Amino acid sequence: MTRRPSDPPAADARAAEAGAADGAPAAVAGLPPAVELRGITKRFPGTLANDAVHLTVRRGEIHALMGENGAGKSTLMSVLYGMERPDAGSILIDGREVSFGSPGAAMAAGLGMVHQSFKLFDSLTVAENVVYRAEPRRFGLVDRAAARRRVRGLAAEHGLAVDPDARVGDLPVGLRQRVEILKLLHRGARTLILDEPTAVLTPAEADALFTVLRSLTARGRTVILVTHKLREVLEASDNVTVLRDGRVVARLRTADTSGAGIAAAMTGRDVELDRVHPAGTPGEVVLDVEGLSTAGVHDVRLSVRAGEIVGVAGVAGNGQSELVEALAGLRPVTAGRVALRGGDITRASATERRAKGLAYVPEDRHAVGTAPAASVADNLAMGHHRTALSSRRGLLPPSAVRAHARELVGRFGVKAATPDVPASSLSGGNLQKLLLGRELAHGAPLLLVEQPTRGVDIGAVQAIHDELIAYRDAGHAVLLVSAELSEIRGLADRILVMYEGRVTAAYDRPDADETALGLAMAGGAPAPAPGTPDTPAPDGD
Amino acid sequence: MAVDSTGVLAARAKGALRSPVTFSVVAGLVIGALFLVGTGADPLAAYGAVVTGSLGGDGIGATLTTGTSVLGLALALAIPLRAGLINLGGDGQLVLGGIAAAVTGLYSPLPAPLTVVLALLAGTAAGAAYAALAALCENRFGVPLLVSSLLLSYPATSFASYLVRHPLKEPGSSLPQTRRLPEGVALPAFGTSTVTAGLVLVLLAAAAYWFADRRTAVGYEIRMTGLNPRFAAYAGVERKGLTLRLMAVSGGLAGLVGSIGVLSFPYRFLDGSLTAPGYTWTGLTAALLAAAAPLGTVLAAFFFAVLQVGGLSMERTTEVPRELTQVLQAIVIVFLAARLRFPRPRRTRGEDRDPGAPEPPTPGSAVPGSAAQREAV
Repeated sequence: MTRRPSDPPAADARAAEAGAADGAPAAVAGLPPAVELRGITKRFPGTLANDAVHLTVRRGEIHALMGENGAGKSTLMSVLYGMERPDAGSILIDGREVSFGSPGAAMAAGLGMVHQSFKLFDSLTVAENVVYRAEPRRFGLVDRAAARRRVRGLAAEHGLAVDPDARVGDLPVGLRQRVEILKLLHRGARTLILDEPTAVLTPAEADALFTVLRSLTARGRTVILVTHKLREVLEASDNVTVLRDGRVVARLRTADTSGAGIAAAMTGRDVELDRVHPAGTPGEVVLDVEGLSTAGVHDVRLSVRAGEIVGVAGVAGNGQSELVEALAGLRPVTAGRVALRGGDITRASATERRAKGLAYVPEDRHAVGTAPAASVADNLAMGHHRTALSSRRGLLPPSAVRAHARELVGRFGVKAATPDVPASSLSGGNLQKLLLGRELAHGAPLLLVEQPTRGVDIGAVQAIHDELIAYRDAGHAVLLVSAELSEIRGLADRILVMYEGRVTAAYDRPDADETALGLAMAGGAPAPAPGTPDTPAPDGD
Repeated sequence: MAVDSTGVLAARAKGALRSPVTFSVVAGLVIGALFLVGTGADPLAAYGAVVTGSLGGDGIGATLTTGTSVLGLALALAIPLRAGLINLGGDGQLVLGGIAAAVTGLYSPLPAPLTVVLALLAGTAAGAAYAALAALCENRFGVPLLVSSLLLSYPATSFASYLVRHPLKEPGSSLPQTRRLPEGVALPAFGTSTVTAGLVLVLLAAAAYWFADRRTAVGYEIRMTGLNPRFAAYAGVERKGLTLRLMAVSGGLAGLVGSIGVLSFPYRFLDGSLTAPGYTWTGLTAALLAAAAPLGTVLAAFFFAVLQVGGLSMERTTEVPRELTQVLQAIVIVFLAARLRFPRPRRTRGEDRDPGAPEPPTPGSAVPGSAAQREAV
């Protein structure tokens, strides 16, 4: 791994850095940077998470911090936010060197962080959440009226419209994120760190967020955007710092760069973005769903044929997960009928469904798809342990488990030192390859796949997509759920859009342009004619 | 292959030395020594008394007898714990097993050897059925197993207590106990010791558990359920059925220990004699210490039997009260619990998150204590 000599992006970076230094648009003359990290090194046993990282964020800019999973973004932000102590390096806030022992100290210095998973009380109101632990007091009690006034004031000032009396649990995700931002503003945060803020937003909500961020920076606040999404970096940021393997590999002015340039810096090689695979040749119907309802899913009708990938697009939380869980037998069906290869499986258990020819790659690799504390071999055995690997008497010889693991690790290119290491030691991409490999190895006629490349390095994305296409071309049916439109458009032969638990639009791939899909995902699709809610145009292709 | 296996062994030994279990046991012994020094006692002499008192010629019999019960209950608690289920009703299942064995032993018309077998089976069945009831409470009515098993334990012990004070009471005795079992209705003992064939039964159970855990499909499902229940459910492991079966096995083992207790000295059911030594809690401690792993559970159960028996002799030969051994036991568990709160402190990847874990929204206090913990272990 001699990275540096043959590293074009780093060379670009130096050039861009020089450029950015003279013409820095957002820098206010004479003022020190809002945040400056100098030579931050953070070592964990076995990994160098940050290697002498320099990061300069000027006051009033939106600064994107990019990198793949494991590049060291989160560690760097943990160091900045007082959650980890750096092994070396210094932190300067407004030009003064600081050392935070806790997030509380970082907050006191004017930093604020919106975490990926929100930290809000669902049962409390917006105002109560905003003032939590910094409550306006009157006679020693919480002054609710003052809290509401404070929230209204902040909301009006920054264009963050939200009802202070609404219960947070009733709010859509986009508004909850506003509550998180209001919370930070209430505590006087001058620099806001947002960790993957758009992961749960519709394209429209994301645009609204960026408008809010712009208005914040216009008022002199500073935003650090931690993300791996190229598009929003290009749209929203002023400057970009790209990390790879714990080092800064590029500092770029957003105006001077392109998506391909950043992607190359992130991965260290040229990456073909948004590749579109050739269409499949569908055969007979494998999965047939009629009027399926379950909690969060209403009257869904769809079918998937052998040799085709049907993509389900939609913003997270619109019933896709529930639909797939119901199909996998993990959630009771309240109405409707599900047939697999002509046989009714509406009431079948998860085990029976698997026996009838279903495999499933769930959305949440760590909590559902694997047991991270178990070994790679044990993780690969799941589902095969009652069939291929065990003998008639229910014996499961460890040698068979290990041999099976070695075979799959080799076949799917999982990078694991031995089959005995815990699955938690694998990177996100490798864990996903493990999970996908295990499910593909069933050779089941129907594969359910949820978010196959979420949190996976760009490099591994291609390999995973190729596996899915190869599986389809081998004559299997694939139902693909993804929040990444480009993934759906690149892989799926037909595309369904789910909104609020219903399939609200269906397209053949050639008809599915990004605008139409984005609109449908936001609930803006023309209401389909009753009775034919989600069937594709009859034999449209 | 040979190189490979020695490498694996070395790695295992290294892992065992660095494991939190070793750490907490050593920490317990060190802190116990500090206590002893603080009270003016000689820690080496006290620990020496524990070892000679429990493993010496005079003590080994008592250690193995105690060890039979401790190991039996440790297994009873470890087996469901392997799947993440905690059976807190060991006392009730133990006592019902004992009373069932006593009733069988007193009233069975069969010849003595068959009566012994029947009494063992009756005790096992009683414990299994009672534990299965706790599992049904969870499966059918949603009562958490922890609660249902614990609460069902009290009526069981009270019921046994009532039986030996009234209908089954030995006529003319002032003690709440049944009559002595008929001559010959007893487990065969090794020589003149109090160690009986019960030890063999419990060791066989441990061997069966080891085999099932390592080499069977159901053992694999149990382990995976313990490591991640949602993962097991996703792959089709049926949780309710597993809970019911594991609880039945667990309660059956507790009942077996109860019947072994009745079929060896004092050859009768004496109210409180099964529960007073606290085998259930010691067994739970041992199972937790071993994280329910089969071999570890055996070792931990033996370790606590040594402490329990050695503590008594330490009290006799030195000035140190036997409560010290309970202090040791408690310290060990406190250190282990600390590990339970911060799992896998060795490797904290910067980008690793814990998806789906319902974190309480406590801004400002959301500091993983990873740095400090990494140094501690």
